[in-house]
Amino acid sequence: MGMTYIPSTLSEALRLRAEKGAKPLAGGTDLMVQSKRGIALAPQFPFDVMIITAIDELKGIRALDDGSVEIGALVTPSEIAASDIVPWHVRQAAAGMGAIALRNTATIGGNIGNASPKGDLPQPLILLDAEVVLASVKGERRMLLDDFILGSKKTALGDDEIIRSVIIPPHDFTYSFYRKIGMRRANAISKLSLSAAAVVKDGEILDFRASSGASGPRVIRSKDAESIIKGHMVEEIPELMDSFLEAWNNAISPHAMPEYRRNTTRRMLGYFLSSIHEGASPGIISEEV
Amino acid sequence: MPQTAIDDRIVRVDATSKARGEAKYVSDLSFPDMQYAYMVRSSIPRGKIDSISIPELPEGYWFISADDIPEEGKNELWMIQKDWRCFAEGDVKYVGETIGLLVGSDRNVLRYLLDNVDIKYTEEEPAITIDEGLAVKGGPIVGEDNVLCQLFVEKGRPMEEVFREADSVFEETIETGFQEHVHLETNGAIVTIENGKYTFYASAQCPFYIRKAVAGLLGLQAEDIVVKQTTTGGAFGGKEHFPDVLCGPLLVAEHKIRKPIKLIFDREEDMLYSVKRHPAKITYKTALDKDGNILGIDGVVVYNCGPYLSGSFVVLQRGVFHANGVYDIPNTHVKGIGIATNTFPSDAFRGFGAPQTLFAIETHMEHIAKRFGFDPAEYKSRYFIKQGGETITNGHIVERVVLPEMMKQVTDASDYFRKASEYRPGSGKGIGISFYNHGGAFTGNGEQAIIKAHARLVKTGDRVRIEVGSTEMGQGFQTTLRKIAAATLGISIDDVDYDNPDTSIVPDSGPTAASRSTMIVGRLVERCAEEMKERWQEGDFSVEKEYEHPEGHPWDQNTFRGDAYLGYGWGCCIVEVEVDKLTKEVKVTGIWSSHDIGKAIDELIVHGQVNGGIVQSLGYASMEKMENRNGHFRQSSMSDYVIPTSMEFPTQQWFLVDNPYEWGPFGAKGMGELVFNGADAAYIDAVERAIGKEIHKIPMPPEDIEEVLNAE
Repeated sequence: MGMTYIPSTLSEALRLRAEKGAKPLAGGTDLMVQSKRGIALAPQFPFDVMIITAIDELKGIRALDDGSVEIGALVTPSEIAASDIVPWHVRQAAAGMGAIALRNTATIGGNIGNASPKGDLPQPLILLDAEVVLASVKGERRMLLDDFILGSKKTALGDDEIIRSVIIPPHDFTYSFYRKIGMRRANAISKLSLSAAAVVKDGEILDFRASSGASGPRVIRSKDAESIIKGHMVEEIPELMDSFLEAWNNAISPHAMPEYRRNTTRRMLGYFLSSIHEGASPGIISEEV
Repeated sequence: MPQTAIDDRIVRVDATSKARGEAKYVSDLSFPDMQYAYMVRSSIPRGKIDSISIPELPEGYWFISADDIPEEGKNELWMIQKDWRCFAEGDVKYVGETIGLLVGSDRNVLRYLLDNVDIKYTEEEPAITIDEGLAVKGGPIVGEDNVLCQLFVEKGRPMEEVFREADSVFEETIETGFQEHVHLETNGAIVTIENGKYTFYASAQCPFYIRKAVAGLLGLQAEDIVVKQTTTGGAFGGKEHFPDVLCGPLLVAEHKIRKPIKLIFDREEDMLYSVKRHPAKITYKTALDKDGNILGIDGVVVYNCGPYLSGSFVVLQRGVFHANGVYDIPNTHVKGIGIATNTFPSDAFRGFGAPQTLFAIETHMEHIAKRFGFDPAEYKSRYFIKQGGETITNGHIVERVVLPEMMKQVTDASDYFRKASEYRPGSGKGIGISFYNHGGAFTGNGEQAIIKAHARLVKTGDRVRIEVGSTEMGQGFQTTLRKIAAATLGISIDDVDYDNPDTSIVPDSGPTAASRSTMIVGRLVERCAEEMKERWQEGDFSVEKEYEHPEGHPWDQNTFRGDAYLGYGWGCCIVEVEVDKLTKEVKVTGIWSSHDIGKAIDELIVHGQVNGGIVQSLGYASMEKMENRNGHFRQSSMSDYVIPTSMEFPTQQWFLVDNPYEWGPFGAKGMGELVFNGADAAYIDAVERAIGKEIHKIPMPPEDIEEVLNAE
């Protein structure tokens, strides 16, 4: 059974991380559940833990000079959902996470660090080419979130590092799409999720991207598939559609309910592309039944 | 204080204490020197126990098992039969079977001990599904063919004759899944010794069942045991017989330890290791003439019971007796089989066997209607049984059946016929309809022959105390019963007391089950109150009454012939849906229902029951998926076994029809289960129309709808 530490500054936390390898515990909505032992018993962790909720350096959402948005690791989904500077896809995902109590308690750092393929926030963040800022006693490094999450429950986090923040670069999408399919309408774990976005100017698709959650061991982004659409004209969409959808289908690897997840992903992406082709008004593409 | 009238809308008597968190549940109770108990359970579905290795026990810690049952006792829980063992001995028959109890004062220590128990098994091949049970996979669990219980009923002419005359025969099999009760309060009980008697504090529907079930473990009589019901946070049938499974081992432990011992399941235990609704596989073979008229139905109803009988035979009987739904089918033969498997035993769940067959017959009737081009509502209504009509058990419907009026209410309110003709199959929009009933109280003459319920009113000054064994479990019975007493006596409900029952004080009013409490116990209290009112001036006294069976309603429990139920609740439900074209998620856009419950004793409580029953039924049909792989339930929490939230379904429009029931208090009949019995079929009908395909099973989450769409 591990020790529990409560650092009050980032430097103290980094030192504990380096010396003891203590795992950061913030909202506890993953770790506490994973190590639960039943009624009236505190969880027992097989490793040292540090409760980092008091560390102010890890809090807050701020706009950076280059138009990026930096979200501290301790920021909760409720704060993200209520922010007017966080990009739309991420706010949507944050607003649909779990129940209100969880949204008030969980943190973006935890959701990323837990690296569950069903995690709600990594999916839109990877769509937006977000980066994680990793801190250690030796300093800081930045890397793409897409590179940071290696697989189900696996990350590139060093033994002496903690997630300090997430930085989302600026975007100006012409079209955006987000959909989470949960097991029910509220308080649900994701069964499948998809984000998509496109920049269209003068009939040319300057940017096109998508990301799939709960469709494989990690969030799926496929630059190869995206490149089938990117750089082409809107009127070419019908002839590109099949090869794009096929490429995307090859990129995802859902384990359970493969037929449902594959077909639904295909229909959602097809719908998004068709909407662009049909000249939908710029903005959010939301489907009408 | 003002007199309470039966039609007053009043605040539930237990609302404030529960809403404020002041109500004390069993897990809130504590006694001096109280010990805790953890269950040691089987981790395999079937096999021999080779050895049980318990870590060295510190002083003041005990491992209790079958070895601790005294010589004069027997290792059996007396539910209906005595086949369910208190502790597994020699072998195990399902995952989660109780092997022992670890008891001691510190839960940290107990948890450590539990994590280090080592049980060695020789595993045997289990039978998990109905088909595996029928095929006697791995050898018989029970008897030679795994048939735990069976029965058949027949009405009209022989089936061979009817089928010879048929122009066509339509046969299909419809399946329903496990359902978990998910009562907000998990199972729990405390055993202690008070005034020299073994005494239980238990979250339970039926305190008198517990006494009977466990006494034999110590060679005692039921009267030697006292059970005090604690405020119970939901049950739905999950606390009918199942508290026996907690209380039995606790009693054996108490016999040895003689200190208060508390056993509380956490949510994961309550999900994985408790009874569930019986999964069912129901086959109807229907003889039809060339115009689509039904000549006869031959049905086979198979319920997955697990390895022990518990309440399964009674559940199966109710399933078979409801297998014709609300219809008067001229010729029927229905066979019911309860099959033994190595799953956790199935037991009571709101509806008690009726929901499975009602879902199946509704879906089957609707499939016939669509195949012959009829609107399902119109087609089904041709077969509505009427007062005096012959039931599936050769009995007769006693009351006036007002289904046609109820159908008009909901079809008008929902604009059903316009929508049904406008929404094209496969258009993504659909509207569906179902009809259902529920026989109130125990089957046949069970109320008279088996239960013989008693109720008592005690007058002290101007206050009146109700003494019954019936329990409040969230359904509102404390309010309902106090209201019946107050309104009959012409006093205020505030002058009527009704505490959680204590078996050493109250008479046995029978189980709080079978939608019988208002109808049977409510009527007993009404009769007590009528007499008390006449004698009001006599000072302090009490009145006790015993159940009286209405004359002229024969029933033969050996052949299952006669009037199976003396009063049915009736229901009609319409559900409208939109199926998302991209994701196959189903959005319910309208819910309309009408119920005949005789008379609503309290409209607010009835409203709560209607809303809750329909939402629970829609959850059963849509999202509540409990899978069993190799004997292990896969869903273990409220995040993977999902029940509906308030976000899932829209506001319901609901109607009641007034149709007073002769033998119920103020004309009331049973209603707690009725309201669960039909929304599932209406929902599936609506989804079928929206996707343009037939569905043959529930639950139907989006991934299963996808599968239906892609089939063939």
